[in-house]
Parts: sequence; structure tokens; C-alpha cells
Amino acid sequence: MNPIVFGVLFILIAPIFGGLLAGVDRIVSARMQSRVGPPLLQPFYDLGKLLQKEARQVNPIAEPLLLGHLGFMAATGAMLVGGTDLIFVAFVFALAALFLVLAAGSVNSPYSFAGAERELIVLLASEPFFILMLAAICKVTDASSYQGVLSSAVMVAPKLPGILLAFTFVATIKLRKSPFDISTSHHAHQELVSGLTSDMSGRLLAYVELAHWYESAILAALVVLFFNWSVPLGLLAFAVVYGLEVLVDNSTSRAKWQLVLRSTWVVTLLLVGGNVLALFLIK
Amino acid sequence: MSFFSKSPWILHYDASSCNGCDIEVLACLTPLYDLERFGVVNTGNPKHADILLITGSVNERNIDIIRNLYRQMPDPKVVVAVGACACSGGIFARAYNIQGGIDKVLPVDVYVPGCAARPESIIDGVVQGIGALEQKRRKSA
Amino acid sequence: MSSLIVFLVAFPLVVGGLLLGIRNSKLRNVIVVLAGLVVAGASIVTAVTFGNGDAVFFGLPNGLTLGRSLLVLEIAIAVFVVAVSIQHRRILAPVLVLGQVAVSVYLELSGKMPELEPGRLFWFDRLSMIMVLIIGIIGTLICIHSLGYMRDYHRSSPLIKGRRTVFFCLLFVFLGSMFGLVVSNYLPLMLIFWEVTTLCSFLLIGYTRTKETIGYAFDALNMNMLGGLGFSVAILMLAGQPDGLDLAKLTAGPATAALLPALALLCLAGLTKAAQMPFSRWLLGAMYAPSPTSALLHSSTMVKAGVFLLLRLSPAIAGSSLGTLVAFVGMLTFLFVSLVGVTEQNTKKVLAYSTIGSLGLIVGCAGLGSPELIWVGVMIIIFHALAKGLLFLVVGTIENRLYSKDMENFDTLLSRLPLVSALALTGIAGMFIAPFGVVVAKWTAIRAFLEIPGWQGAALLVIMAFGTSLTLFYWGKLLIKVLSMRSVSEYERSVEKRISRFEWLAEISLASGVIGVAAFLGVISEQVVGPYALATFKGTSQSFLHIEPVILATMIAALLFLPALALWASRHEGYNTADFYAAGRPVTSGGVMGMALGATQTVTLRNYYLDGVVNGKLVFRVGTIACGVLLVTLIAVGMVAR
Repeated sequence: MNPIVFGVLFILIAPIFGGLLAGVDRIVSARMQSRVGPPLLQPFYDLGKLLQKEARQVNPIAEPLLLGHLGFMAATGAMLVGGTDLIFVAFVFALAALFLVLAAGSVNSPYSFAGAERELIVLLASEPFFILMLAAICKVTDASSYQGVLSSAVMVAPKLPGILLAFTFVATIKLRKSPFDISTSHHAHQELVSGLTSDMSGRLLAYVELAHWYESAILAALVVLFFNWSVPLGLLAFAVVYGLEVLVDNSTSRAKWQLVLRSTWVVTLLLVGGNVLALFLIK
Repeated sequence: MSFFSKSPWILHYDASSCNGCDIEVLACLTPLYDLERFGVVNTGNPKHADILLITGSVNERNIDIIRNLYRQMPDPKVVVAVGACACSGGIFARAYNIQGGIDKVLPVDVYVPGCAARPESIIDGVVQGIGALEQKRRKSA
Repeated sequence: MSSLIVFLVAFPLVVGGLLLGIRNSKLRNVIVVLAGLVVAGASIVTAVTFGNGDAVFFGLPNGLTLGRSLLVLEIAIAVFVVAVSIQHRRILAPVLVLGQVAVSVYLELSGKMPELEPGRLFWFDRLSMIMVLIIGIIGTLICIHSLGYMRDYHRSSPLIKGRRTVFFCLLFVFLGSMFGLVVSNYLPLMLIFWEVTTLCSFLLIGYTRTKETIGYAFDALNMNMLGGLGFSVAILMLAGQPDGLDLAKLTAGPATAALLPALALLCLAGLTKAAQMPFSRWLLGAMYAPSPTSALLHSSTMVKAGVFLLLRLSPAIAGSSLGTLVAFVGMLTFLFVSLVGVTEQNTKKVLAYSTIGSLGLIVGCAGLGSPELIWVGVMIIIFHALAKGLLFLVVGTIENRLYSKDMENFDTLLSRLPLVSALALTGIAGMFIAPFGVVVAKWTAIRAFLEIPGWQGAALLVIMAFGTSLTLFYWGKLLIKVLSMRSVSEYERSVEKRISRFEWLAEISLASGVIGVAAFLGVISEQVVGPYALATFKGTSQSFLHIEPVILATMIAALLFLPALALWASRHEGYNTADFYAAGRPVTSGGVMGMALGATQTVTLRNYYLDGVVNGKLVFRVGTIACGVLLVTLIAVGMVAR
């Protein structure tokens, strides 16, 4: 099949995947807290309501920037599974995240600004990991595209155990889970922690939510890369990772940004750097 | 199709309450009552909220803030006054700094009586609020 | 060809001399604009005459010989440096420059200087062509920009004695010598131009003649003179070798062990000029010069001379331990200055750190040397010259309007100076956002690093991943500041109207250049830079740009988005920018927040500088020491190899 078809399919299917994932997440979290929790389709109801509500905007630039965020996030996913060079995808992924920062920063209010800066910090913390991870996968499989990695005879996960371990750590940031959700909390809104979305309402908030669903789908697609010999196994691994994240989310409190930055860098440097070094020395 | 009845997000504001009602509001989120079953989220940000849930009465200092929070909520929106103080000023009604119930400043849609209001009646109030929200949406559409 | 080159070098020198005597600013404006157009035209004619073919070598036009002019010039430079140093009671610079003269005089008197092949004085190839176009076009635009900038600069700082005749003279002298530098094949000739650019930089940094700037000027002079001394000792060593002073023959292939010591010293010269650690300090001090100087000398062209030389040397040093060491100096510099950059608040210094970092990447590419990496290096030179030149000019313009270089004072720029912020956004996008050159270049570099075996490959990859993310952080902070909006008064709006036509012309042209080069990325890569990389490393034909044109086009369109959005948004009225969530507190349009008990507080927002996590000064010191150790090793390796 033509890789472009995969890209288009991703754009169509990823929101459904991401939304359902969020629904499952909320139910599982509720059960961990001995509650019943909302219906499975609750994230879709929320999205629908946000789209129907008035959007109060404080400036003309936030909405286009958020559309840019959503568009680039979708494009990142489409490029990823559509066969674009993986390392280039890492750069576009960071760019997509940056647009969210800019949208919040454009508001010029204390809470939005603090949120934007914190998001920039988690971006700074996680970005080295994604570049190194994709570079290492390219190195192991000698491929440059998603399809290339999947069709490679080399099994990725056994060769990159350190990076896979680090992934579970860094994914906490991208999935916006405690202890690393210092910029957007999915829990009850607090001024600083949810500062990023403070001044986004109605459809603007819907864009952020939708982009996050794309982000979850991208992370799932990335986990599959580690299990390139069997896609179902990869998805299962993602489910396990996600389950762990929910557990961690419900059993930890939030870390300060300094700790987030330091710990992520140390993990990236030790686990990922060590794994990459081993790769270059042994191969 | 309307999603308002399935996803009412709440902004909880404590005006000048004795905190009795606030504890009951939070109790609604606990496993025993689990308000999230109805898709309710306690947002804490007027720009994300559909229902303004106010406990306590209006005083001279918070009157502007109450107006401001309500103004910053995007339409459609409803106000639920929880507890005797929010409904009428309660036992503080004659105090020197109290203006009275929430309806002195905002158009209140649902009054939840009680001192303190019971979680069951708060949930009932929210559900009635959802109905009002739905009506307002239909009117504006 | 040869008369064109002589014209390119001589004409700006003559114009420079002429400008020294012109005090009437209207007349000066006319001369600078006309002369600039001639210089730009001549550089284009040179490129067209060359026709993007293979390398050509030539000497001076009929009847002209160098004779002893080089020695005379060198002594003249030395006399000047000694005189200035005595005036300001400095000791290091004269020692270094006298050392240089001693070397030259010794060579001349002992007769060890090999016979010069008259037809191989100059070397013009695709890299020279790119450099000549950069110097000719961007240089001219920056000179024109200075006409407006310097007027406002002196208006806003009346205490500084205006010496604009000297300023414009130096700019043109610099252009001439820079042209000479990039077409020289005969090393002693290149050295003279090299020293003249050093002098121009020294004089321009010390333009305001305050105690502070004179200190920075001598910093720059000392470090660059050290490089110059390395250069002349290298010439002394190479003089004994066959074809040693012929740059093209010297770098035709991997160097023999006998040549390594001299090459190590040439690398030292390149590293000082490119302000790599441990020499980065001088470029930061150079930021106290007027902004067009920073744009022309300290980002677009002069510092590029350092990486130009290293790119030239690349085929000779690649693969040797010398090359690897040079590469690590560059890449570590990139990492360290990026880390320091996130803690810096002065916008010009952030741009300086970014410049040193970009140069570090090019040095890394040159040291490792492969067709792909040379391609990356040259691509960064092109994009960096345009985008960073633009950014320095824009910061200069902003500085003259807002009386500040502090990034924190650039907030709500979009509301205050919409057109200027659109230009700034173009520059920032040109520097780091995905589809534009620098990221494409980084991406190709990562691909190339994957092919490097052993721990070096892994280390380079890690350095690149962290360094890139750090640049994202400081650019992100700057973008937040520029893109934020608030309501502005009529007066604030009117500030933008007072920017001179010269500045608009230069900045808009450069911005169009950034966009144009991004749009023709494919053509430039396949027609010019690619063939150059293959010719240098005798590679087989291949394509360097591994990206589908459709995606590239979409991405370029998407990134025009930011400047276009800025222009669009600035015309959009009817939003209450003070209506943000402030815990229910009232906020007035001036950003004044009501607090408890009737108190008020104006909203001020300050970026994160990673206080408590990254100590900028410490990082800078560690980087300087680490790279210093590498540099000493580098020279030692060169010497031992002999």
C-alpha cells in the first residue's frame, strides 16, 4: 500500500484512538480511586461541548497558533507513518509542541505565561530523548522510514533496552501524567499547573484536546517501532506502558520543574546515551 | 445534537461561606457520590466552565470578583447557588458587610437549600442546572 | 576573472578611503548606496562569469606583481597595532604582532620563501562564489542599513562622539579585505587579508572608545592575533614543503604526517576567528559594537572566515586525529554555548551564543569531513549569514526604538512594532524552525553521524540532541516575547513610523532572501552546494536532500505562517487583551491588576532562565577549559605526528 494512504488513515483514525484512550484512562483512574468514573465516550462528549460553546478570545493570534499546533501534530503523525525520514519527524514533533507554547505565551497574562514557560521546559527536557531514540532506531535497523523499520529483519527492542526503559520515563511528560504534568494537568484546574490553557475556551480548548489525542497516537506508533517484528505486540506494549503511567499518575504528587528537567536529562544521558554508545561500539 | 447535558464543567466559588457547603461540594467528587459519572469536571477556571457553583453570600469585597468570574464564562452558562447563605444571605444576611444572596449580583438559575446543603441536593441542583444550560443553548441557537 | 577579483578587492578599499573624508551625511548616504550597489553588482558579475563551474586559478592581471607589498603591508599593520597598544598601554597584542612580523621578515631575508607560481595566486570555486555573493549582497545591505542605524544610534546616545566617517570607511575596507580572503590561494596573501579583517573588527568594537569597549576590542585583537601568529608560524613551517603555500594543492587530499603540525596551527587560526571555545569570549565582547557591525563582522561574514578556512582544510585533516579533535572542539562549543544561551537575557548576546553554536556545528562538520558534512557546513553558512544578519539588524532597529537590548523588554513587540516583529519572526524561523536550512542541515548531520563508527559517533549524536533542544529553548523564549499582545497607545504605535528607509530596505531584502533561499533550497543544494561537496571529497554523484518536495513546499508555506500571522494579527482590532483570567481580579487595559484591599500591581512577566539548574558562568568556564585542553592536545598531536 502507498505510504501516503497510511498518513491519511492516521489523520482519520488517530483522534478516535486518542479519544478512546482518554476515556479508558478516566475510567481506570476512577476505578483506582474506587469510583465508577465517566462513560467511555466522555472525552468525545467534552470535545463536542467545547466545539458548541462560545470561544472567548483575548487576542487574534492564539486561535491560528492553536490551529498550527493541531495541524502540525496531525502532520507529525501522518509523516511518521507515511514514511518520512524519522529524524525529520522528531524535529516536526518539537515544532508542533512549540506552537502550543506560543499560543499560551501570546496571551501575556501571568498564568498563561507561566504555563507556556513550563511547557517549554518539559519540551527542553524531552526533546533530546526523541531525537536520540529515533536516531538509534535508524542506526539499528539501517532504515530511515517507519515502513523501513517495520520491514527490517533486525528486532529493535532487544537491542535498545535502555531506550525503551527511558521511553516509559519520558512518555510521562508527553502523556501529561504526574509527577511531570507541570504545565497542563488533566486533574482539577489549578492556576499554575494548568496555566497553559487558562485563557483558551470553547473550540480553542477543543483544538488542544484533539492535538493531545494525536500526540497519544504518535506515542503509540513510536512504541510499535520498538516491536517492529509484531505490530500487535507493540500495541500491547503501549497498553502496558500506558497502564503504568496511569498507575504512576494516581500514586505520585507533582514534581518541581527543576526535578523534571534534571531527572529527564540524567535518564536520557545515562540510559539512552549508554545504549547508543553500546550500539556504536558493539555493532 | 447537544453535548451540554453530558459534559457540564463546574466552577466552584466560595463567596463568604462558613466552608460547610464547600466541604459538601467536594464530597460530591469522592467515591461515595462520584459526580464525574455525569461527566462533571471541577475546572476552577471560568473560561472552561459551564456552571458557576457558588457557596456563601455576597459581600462588599467579593462582589467584583463574582461579577468578573461570571463575565469571563463563555455562553451558555448557568449559576447554581448552593446553601442558605448563597440563596438569601442566610444567618449572615443582616451583617454589616453582607449584601445578601448571590441573586443580588448574578441571575441565579438554581437554588439549592440547606445549611449545609447535602451532597444529594447539590447533585440534584447540578442536574437541574444542566437542564437550564440546555434551555439556554436552545434559546440562543 | 582576475581583473574582476582585483576590482572586488580594490574598489571597496578606495571607497573606504573616500568616505574617510566625507562629513556631509547626505553625500555619504549617496556614496554608500551607490558604492554598495556597485559592490553587489560586481559580486554578482563575478559569480556569473564563473558560471558555477569547476575551480579556477589565476594570478594578478598583466603587468602587476606582488613584489614585497605583502611584507610592507604586514609591517604597516604591525606599526599600527604597536602604536595603538602603546596608547592604551597593552602588551600582549604588540608581542603577538611583532612575532608575526619577525616570522615574515625572517622568511623574506633568509630567502626560504619558495618561488611563487604567478598563475595560482587566487582560487575561485563554488565555495568562493557563495562567500563572494554573501559578502557582496548581504554586506552591501548591512552598509545601507547602517546609514539609518548610525543616525539613530548617535541620537539616542548623545554622549558618544560621532565618528561616522571612520565607521563607514572601516565597513568598506572590511568588505574589500573579506573578498580578498575568500579568493586567496596563496597563504601569505590570505594572511594579510586575515589580519586586516582582525583590525577592522578591533576598531569597530572599540568604536565608542569607552574604557569598557576598548577592553573588549583588545580581547578580540589579542585572540585573533594569536590565531594570526599561528597562521604565520604555519606559513614558516609550510615554506619548506613543496607546494606548501598553495592552499589548493595543500588540501587536495589527506595530509602527510609532515604537514600536520602546520595544519594544526592553521586550525588554531580558524578556531580563533570562528570564536570557538576557548576563544568565545571575544565575540561576546564584540556585541558592544554598533549592531550593523555585529551583523556584518560578527555573524554574517568575518567569523565565517574562520570556518571558511577550516572547510578548505577539511579534506586534508579529515580522518586524522587532528580532524577529530577539531570536530570535537566545534561540537562541544556548540553544546556549551547553547547551554549558556538559555541563561542569557541580553538579546544580542543570545544571538552571539547562537552564532558561536552554529559556527561550532560547521567546525564539527569540517573536522569530520565527508561529502554530506561539507554540504551541511556550507548550507549552514548560507542560511546563517542571511537569517542571523537579519536578526542582528532587527535587534539593532528595536534597540534604537525601545532603548533596550534586554529580551524581557521585547514583550508585546507584535503589538508595538508589528512590521519589525514580522521581520524578526522571519529571521528566527530561518534560524531554527523545521523546513528552513539550519534544521535541514542538522538533520543531515545526524544522518551522517550515524555512519561514524566508534564512540565518536555516539558522542556526537548525544551532543547534537542536547544542543539542538537547548537552542529550541532560547528561541522559544524569544518567540513568546515577540508574539505576545497587549493594547498599545497611539504614541507606542507611532514609534515604528520613525524607522529609516535604509533600515527597512536592508531588513526587508534580507527577509526576502531568507524566504527565497528556503524556497530554492533544492536548486541551491543540487546545483551549487552538492557539486562543491562532491568535488572537495571526490565523492560519487548523489542527492543530499532526502525529502519529498511536496512536504518541503508545504512546510515552507506553513512557516511563512508566523510572519504572515503577525502582520495579519496586528491589523485586527476588537479584542480585549486585558481580559485574561486573573483569579477573578479586575485588570485594566494597561495590564494593571487589582489586588486585595484595593492595592494594584502592574503585570510584568519574566522568562525562565533555569536559575538554580544551569549556572551560565560556570558552564562557560567549564567549556572554555574543556575545549582549551582539547586545543592543546590538538596542537600537541600535530607536533608529535611529525
